[in-house]
Amino acid sequence: MDPFEYAKSIADMWALGGKALLSAQEAGVRAMGTAVAPGMLPDMSMLPDLTAGMADLTRAGQSVTELWSSATSLSQALARKMPMRGGEDATVEATFQKMADPRSWFSVTGEMDEVLGRMAEGPRFSDLWDVERRYARVYRAWLNLRQRGLEQTAVVLGAWQRAAQLFGEQVGGAGDTVRSADAALHLWTETANRVLLEMQRSEAFLEAQARMIRASTELRMAQHELVEFYGERYGFPTRRELDDVHKTVTELRRELRALRRASAGRAAPASVEPASVKPARQVTKRKPTPRKARN
Amino acid sequence: MAAKETRTTISPAAGVAELAHFGSRILTGTRLLNQVRDGDVAIATTPKDLVWQEDKVSLHHFRPMTQCSVRTPVLIVYGLIGRWTMADLQEDRSLVQNLLKLGIDLYVVDWGNPSRADRWLTLDDYIDGYLHDCIQQICAQAGVSQVNLLGICEGGVFTTCFAALHPDMVKTMTLTITPIDFHADTLENRTGHGFINVWTRSLAPEDIDNLIDANGCLPGEFMGAVFNQMTPMRTLLKYNIDMLDMVDDEKKLMNFLRMEKWIADRPDHPGEAAKQWLKDLYQQNKLIKNELEIGGRRVDLGNITMPVLNVYAKDDHIIPPATSRALGDKVGTKDYTELALPGGHVGVFVGGRSQALFAPGVATWLTERE
Repeated sequence: MDPFEYAKSIADMWALGGKALLSAQEAGVRAMGTAVAPGMLPDMSMLPDLTAGMADLTRAGQSVTELWSSATSLSQALARKMPMRGGEDATVEATFQKMADPRSWFSVTGEMDEVLGRMAEGPRFSDLWDVERRYARVYRAWLNLRQRGLEQTAVVLGAWQRAAQLFGEQVGGAGDTVRSADAALHLWTETANRVLLEMQRSEAFLEAQARMIRASTELRMAQHELVEFYGERYGFPTRRELDDVHKTVTELRRELRALRRASAGRAAPASVEPASVKPARQVTKRKPTPRKARN
Repeated sequence: MAAKETRTTISPAAGVAELAHFGSRILTGTRLLNQVRDGDVAIATTPKDLVWQEDKVSLHHFRPMTQCSVRTPVLIVYGLIGRWTMADLQEDRSLVQNLLKLGIDLYVVDWGNPSRADRWLTLDDYIDGYLHDCIQQICAQAGVSQVNLLGICEGGVFTTCFAALHPDMVKTMTLTITPIDFHADTLENRTGHGFINVWTRSLAPEDIDNLIDANGCLPGEFMGAVFNQMTPMRTLLKYNIDMLDMVDDEKKLMNFLRMEKWIADRPDHPGEAAKQWLKDLYQQNKLIKNELEIGGRRVDLGNITMPVLNVYAKDDHIIPPATSRALGDKVGTKDYTELALPGGHVGVFVGGRSQALFAPGVATWLTERE
């Protein structure tokens, strides 16, 4: 799926699906409220309002859609100017056309998005009523991450358009000097590289990426909170408990190292003769053998 | 006004000939790729022995290749981002082998593969704990009271801190592509250089805390993505155009695959140590200000009184030269030497031009101070 479809479908899906989900939840809360004693269930006003987040996502999606449409037109115009030869150049031509396609830009800067996504979107959960607010936090964090991703996409697309315009001007101005696909690819690579590097140092890109990292972290934390809830309920060791254990182990190791040093110091107080120091685990030196060492 | 027509034509015969030649290259390349197995792409193959280990950290001693010319052992200290194997990537481009052939008694510390269980390890643990233990172990094994340290990148910061805190245990210190003034990237402002400095400063300290807390570490994959952003078009080209250029040349292809293997080996950076690395150093620049604390003690660069050799790469886009060279004004020794090498951050180790300069330069400098 290209980013155009991605932006549109994400925005549509969450705008429509989210609205339907909230309506269903609202009806559910009201129904439960009348069936169960008042006060046992959360008041509707306590439930998180996710509609604002969906509207923002929709707007971000529309911006990307417009930019994408413009970038695609530019890409097609550039492709028409491409010198065509065939033979070995055919591969270069194909590569050039692929690289002049706005989608290729996301295989580099989008990698960060993918990595953050993988880091944040580990387990998937089914809906459960009694942890609704935790799910809602995950849902909201997910919406936020998608919106931040689209914002960054818009910044990258803007840079691509600048690069494509510059390239177009150079090709037009160079005339016959850009004779081969190789030369065009070289020119495009240089131009795009320069513009992309400039973009990466821009405040707009750095801010967009910082916001995306923040959103990714928030989503991961929201997921952790949900898993912790289940862990405590069903008696599984939680991430927090494991972190505590690891912290204790690390601190004990530090103490052990300090004690070992102090002990070695007492054993040889007159000098710092290193031979008196006993390592934690000394490996007997093996006789040299022809085989390769372990890595 | 319409743009000039730039299309050219080629004769059918020439086109067919080109196509046949290209097809032949692809066929050869495909055969080569089909024959290569991961086990064939070996890196860090110089023979060595495991001499000590604690937790995930291990110390190795390389087997000598010639008569010893410098009695004081040299310990190679790499950082926690990437792995030391860059110094021994392939036989004909190996800092390790070049030094061994010049009679250097060589050790290397490998930090292993930290996991989430190691999230609480700090720079203090690595510098004042593991590194300290390694040096004591080398002293015990070699029967000496001091070692020569050779720090690389983040490992250079480790050795700098250690040398400042324990100058009596360090005979000389060689730094390679090591950042000391983390804000000196602003002095040059070369396009594409120092992006990590700019990028890290763009984050709020609490963003870093949260990122580490949520993941328990600074994921190696994450840092890999940051590095890829630094060379955007190179990243796009390397698996199509670049690879096509070398696919039918076995030597070039194997070199490419060895480098890929090294790049793919990205250990996770222990969480608390990563917070110090990114906040105390990249953001607050504490090292050059003599404000960094390790093991409850302030790291004063003025305490570095042993001879110092500072090796930097002229075109290093990851550690801009100015960030390394800042050390010269801060150390407490007059025996301070700089060695500027051609190439970039990785090119120092694998570039053809630096092979004749790097190891011989270090060996000569060490011999003169033995």
